[in-house]
Amino acid sequence: MRIEHKRARLVFHIRDLKLEWAIEPRYWRNPLLAVAGLALLPLVIMSKPDYLTLLTTANIYAAVAIPLAWQMAGIGRMNFGPQFFVGIGGFAAALLSIHLGWNPWQTLGIVILLGLAFGLILSPLTTIAKGLYFSLITLILPLIFLEFTYVYTDIFKGETGLSGIVPLVNLGRIRTNYLVSCYFSLGMTLLSLYIVDKVLRSRIGLYAAAINDDEEVAETCGLNINGWKILCFTITSMMIAVTGWFAAHYYGTFAGITYLQLPFMVKILLIVMIGGRGELYGSIVGAYFVAFLEQALTILGPVNYIVFPFVLLVMLSTLREGLYGLYRRHKYREYYPTMRVRKR
Amino acid sequence: MADTIQVILIYTFVLGSLYLLISLGFSVVCGVLRVFHMGYGVTFVVAVYCMWMLMKEFHFGLVPAVIGMFVIQTLFTLGIIYFPVVKRYIEQEELLLTSLILISLIVEEAANFFYPVTAGVNLPTTILPGAVKIGPASIPIQMLIASGVAILTTAVFVLFLLKTRRGLVIRAVSQDTESAELMGANVGRVYALAMVLSVIPPTICILIIAPVWSIEPSLGLPLMMTSILVAILGGLGNIRGSIMASYIVGFLSSAVAFSINPRMMGLATLITVFIVLIFRPEGIAKSESLW
Repeated sequence: MRIEHKRARLVFHIRDLKLEWAIEPRYWRNPLLAVAGLALLPLVIMSKPDYLTLLTTANIYAAVAIPLAWQMAGIGRMNFGPQFFVGIGGFAAALLSIHLGWNPWQTLGIVILLGLAFGLILSPLTTIAKGLYFSLITLILPLIFLEFTYVYTDIFKGETGLSGIVPLVNLGRIRTNYLVSCYFSLGMTLLSLYIVDKVLRSRIGLYAAAINDDEEVAETCGLNINGWKILCFTITSMMIAVTGWFAAHYYGTFAGITYLQLPFMVKILLIVMIGGRGELYGSIVGAYFVAFLEQALTILGPVNYIVFPFVLLVMLSTLREGLYGLYRRHKYREYYPTMRVRKR
Repeated sequence: MADTIQVILIYTFVLGSLYLLISLGFSVVCGVLRVFHMGYGVTFVVAVYCMWMLMKEFHFGLVPAVIGMFVIQTLFTLGIIYFPVVKRYIEQEELLLTSLILISLIVEEAANFFYPVTAGVNLPTTILPGAVKIGPASIPIQMLIASGVAILTTAVFVLFLLKTRRGLVIRAVSQDTESAELMGANVGRVYALAMVLSVIPPTICILIIAPVWSIEPSLGLPLMMTSILVAILGGLGNIRGSIMASYIVGFLSSAVAFSINPRMMGLATLITVFIVLIFRPEGIAKSESLW
């Protein structure tokens, strides 16, 4: 290994691999502090398993919202049905686990393959359907899947959901299981964040921004927009399917009624909007905030169900850039695609 | 076989008319304001629970309660939905959608808080009880009345749009907002009027079907989904398309229910809309305007 000092950066040469590290702390201090905070949080509240479940749920929501941010930028369309892929991953894991007794690692392989396959099959929609129509198609897809689970209820147990799925972690002690699962979910979310962040900062991110801004101009510049859109949709669909796999093995049950209905997407949309209006890091902030707010408001009793959306509504109208906007005052690049319902 | 076809045709009429009444308001908003009204479901909830509140808490009679409820609906639509949200965020779709969804959640949860399912909310809006036998089919009279009212309401809407000056202005705004504005149309006022008009069909609908419908605080979402499906199939915001789409969805639902499997009603409709969206995304209607 050779270390080189270059323009305020340390460059590590490991055979053909080249890694860079910015020396100035302002480039890495805050992200490291954030990751450390997220890593310490489960240890702080480990005495309360329900809080650990809360964190895990927040991580699951964030793990859906993060690839969704890349997808919406990369295909230039708003996806209203990422829960379709959560359903694909969850049901595949549940069925394989219940009927074949497969462990989570065996089901993961199949879920990845199925996520890629379904993503690839449906990816032409990103080129066929424009703007609003894509949003509508994706709105309908999970509902079709949900109806499918009702019609073939002997397989999918439409009304009640599948139960008896092999747990993700089984270390003997329940509290340890919760803690390890929480870290697992955090790892999954951070990995997802790292991948998507790297991609959006790379040349692919530039392509995504170009496609999101104006497809025709991007194509005129020589970009194979269909190819990039298909690639983006397929990979992000697989990433979302993995979240479904995690949810199925973590909770031990999986029901279409929980994940495939509109309220699940509404929650993702709220997280994205409250977190930072499509801002990548805002997804995590939004997921944790929404999860904790929901829990904190339970002290109000049954009225919390009214107060919770009311607080979010007030925040939405007062924090134009979301919670993450409080930290990052300047908006550098708009990644959020419009549905283009309105005639221009 | 002949009996089955007869039943299918009768239910096509009944369900199709009902779907038309449910979705008419959604189409009006979509056609005039060009926004996706994700808070449309809340209209049904406000209608049922405000009416119940006026009758139970304030001891209003049926007719004063209906009038009072329409007043509250109008105030709610203008004061909570249109001016603070739709008008403010009309150019920012993501904020508009999220805000409308949140308002729906607040209203739904408030209805659930004050009148949960166990409160036994039921509106005494039965016009004629019992069922009538038409050929081999037995249909609640209330549903037949709802079908008739649906056709009547749609006819009034169409006549209003085609024969009145105000209707002409609404259609002009629907066709091209900027040109209509240049011709002197007060677009803001037309939008507000369209929002008020949009609450009339769903309110009438839920009042009539309430005695034969499952009344619960979450009734808005499935009804909104029906509206969305009909509006998509018809061509977003086109009333002519919505009329055709309603009866197509009605036919599909009844055909699947009576000849294949009632469980597959929803699936058949969704798959049809899905296919239409792929191969003919603009829907049945070619026009992008309201009529």
